[in-house]
Amino acid sequence: MNLLSTTNISLTNLFAATSTNAALVSFLVYTAAVFVIAALSNRLLKSKSFLSEYFLGSRGLGVWAFALTFAATSSSGGSFTGFPSKIYSHGWILALWIGSYMVVPICTMGLIGKRLNQVARRSGSITVPDVIRDRFHSPVLGLMAVSLIVFFMSFNLVAQFKAGSLILQTLLDGVTIFESAADGLSQAVAGIPYVSESESPEYLLCLLVFGVAVILYTTYGGFHAVVWTDVMQGIVMVIGVLIMLPLAISQAGGLENTTKLMAKMTPPRISDPDKGGITLTLAEPATEMMRIEAGTWITDTPIDDDKTPLLFRVTVATEIAEGETTVNEVKVLQLTTLDDIERVLARRESEKFLNDVSVSNIDLKAYAYGEAGSQQGTYVVGPGPSPGSDSGFLPLSLAISFFFMWAISGTGQPANMVRLMAFRDTKTLQRSICTVAIYYTLIYFPLVLIFCCARVLLPGMEGDSDRIMPAMAVYLTEHIGMGWLAGLLVAAPFAAVMSTVDSFLLLISSAWVRDVYQRNINPEASEKTIKKLSYLATFVVGTAAMVVAINPPQFLQDIIVYVGSGLAASFLAAIVYGLYWRRINAAGAMGAMLGGFSVHLAMYVTGYFVNGSFFKPYQLFDFDPIIIGLFVSFISGFVVTKLTAPPPQELVHKYFYTTKADS
Amino acid sequence: MSTAPSNDTESMQLDPVFLNSKREAWIILGLWVAALLWSVPYCYFNGFQTGLDPETIETTMGIPSWVFWGIAFPWVVADLFTIWFCLFYMKEDDLGVAHEGEDLAEEIAEMHAADSDATTGGNKS
Repeated sequence: MNLLSTTNISLTNLFAATSTNAALVSFLVYTAAVFVIAALSNRLLKSKSFLSEYFLGSRGLGVWAFALTFAATSSSGGSFTGFPSKIYSHGWILALWIGSYMVVPICTMGLIGKRLNQVARRSGSITVPDVIRDRFHSPVLGLMAVSLIVFFMSFNLVAQFKAGSLILQTLLDGVTIFESAADGLSQAVAGIPYVSESESPEYLLCLLVFGVAVILYTTYGGFHAVVWTDVMQGIVMVIGVLIMLPLAISQAGGLENTTKLMAKMTPPRISDPDKGGITLTLAEPATEMMRIEAGTWITDTPIDDDKTPLLFRVTVATEIAEGETTVNEVKVLQLTTLDDIERVLARRESEKFLNDVSVSNIDLKAYAYGEAGSQQGTYVVGPGPSPGSDSGFLPLSLAISFFFMWAISGTGQPANMVRLMAFRDTKTLQRSICTVAIYYTLIYFPLVLIFCCARVLLPGMEGDSDRIMPAMAVYLTEHIGMGWLAGLLVAAPFAAVMSTVDSFLLLISSAWVRDVYQRNINPEASEKTIKKLSYLATFVVGTAAMVVAINPPQFLQDIIVYVGSGLAASFLAAIVYGLYWRRINAAGAMGAMLGGFSVHLAMYVTGYFVNGSFFKPYQLFDFDPIIIGLFVSFISGFVVTKLTAPPPQELVHKYFYTTKADS
Repeated sequence: MSTAPSNDTESMQLDPVFLNSKREAWIILGLWVAALLWSVPYCYFNGFQTGLDPETIETTMGIPSWVFWGIAFPWVVADLFTIWFCLFYMKEDDLGVAHEGEDLAEEIAEMHAADSDATTGGNKS
């Protein structure tokens, strides 16, 4: 195989080798650590009320445990893959996209935290459907809540398993042991119908390793294992970001320099996935089959009077057959910013270039927003460049939607609500909100700074921007001669996705054991039976999600978005009314849940007919379906309550009154 | 409803945890609205531009000024408010003892009562 590369040391290869070895070591250290934590947590299960301990940590979480489990569960894998990728691709506008995180901790924990914890204690509730069932004294409502949770969260669990495996695969790509293990696995499962049809042997291996680790430690250790691994993972995330921040700023020549350079940037030209690209012609026929890897740079002399050199980066690997000189429709992106082009050409010796080649038939398209003269400086102003939308990345209506999405929709997530039922006392809540506020400030805004610097340090990564986090980790640490540090930095995405998966897994298994079996099928089941069932349910739910994730349905990323906003549209109004409005009754709560769920779903179904895809929802007044769903949910809950009889007095007394101290 | 306080309203008062939580929730919601009303319009009017001359981009501490004043500055203010609110304003309420298993026990009791009613009713008929 001839790579026609002039350089002995390729920076890209260096990235691959260092980052992946570091990733492998950090993954193994991680896995070992979470198993130790699970073993310690399992010991706690022996001394307390099993269900409350297994699913809720006996309501005894202190400040660090509560704050970090809350923060880590909310930060899914997306925080360290999708978010950096978006910052890199769209620039400073991501500061506004993530801006509502300034109030996310106080909103998601403070709006309902204290009261939800109190109500759950008063009724003895362990799960979110429990709270709803007890608060309204309505088994039907409880069953509806559990159905919605199982429906939504099962999709989400599969999606998170897939996300975790993809992150692991991205990071391990290129490690020799990993590649050969994947080949071995591929041969071993060759005859098995469903398994052999998975995306790739590498994906399957990552899924198995990641999935089995998470399922085992979650099953064995329960809530405390999940919480303490979250704490460890949360610490790793913040340390990773805080190390990267000064390195990124100093290596990019300071923030001022970064912003000035970004102001001059224009978006790359890109290949259409279905047609077009460029034609490559070698100076001499290939002596053997030649593979051109994704990430390879290609340059040619400027066309006609243009003074800007042509610089392309391959986005999809391609091959030139033996004896041939030409390959058509090579998928590439073309850099259009002179500063970036000169910077890459200046370090030609350390980058992977394809030499002795000429380029013709350039058929690339410009971004829908960002390249025209009137859109200059698009990386430093709103609405930000966008390849597909001519209104830019973040038009005003979407900016408002995201303010709702993070702060308000986050409050309506059952995985967050469960955590709010688990803290020890009010003091813990007060201190934890402050801790999470500082924690998010240390993570999210610095991420914007780091990955704006990445635009300057690593140009031309738009085609593979999901790898920008490991690529930056390795680039920054290699530059100061501390490549080993990359291991800690690339551990952050593992940490983020693991801490989300384990929480979702426990949420679904608790729904089956507590809400379906114990409360509807066999209320008098013995503690021993419940214990066995809890272990079994966690294991089975996890395994089932992992099996489905072998061949996951398409559009999983879209499903995650649909599920997140659907859960909030269904649950938030019912819970808020239940906690703060004495007049609400079971019918009203049901109206709120069904109203929010159906209108939110209707926006997606309408999108199918109007926009041609279920995952391009109809946006009434340009707003995201979450805003419409929440609005309708609150209104329908109010209207139905007013039209129906007041709730039983004894329920109101139980949850809203106390005995006077002097009586 | 075994944990319900007596239904004698004379001897009862609105739960202070409920009242405090509700007041605190309104203030938090107000903070969210304030953040929304500051950040989004500020960024929109100062940061959404067309035809920007790259040489004229205004920065504060190296960050585009609209990001600094529209996001970074209110973020610090929101953090300071959060810390003050949580540590000095929020009431340190007693959340009570957890009645573990009580909801279930209550339902089991109701179930048995319904069973025995059915049995008694059947005998009577």
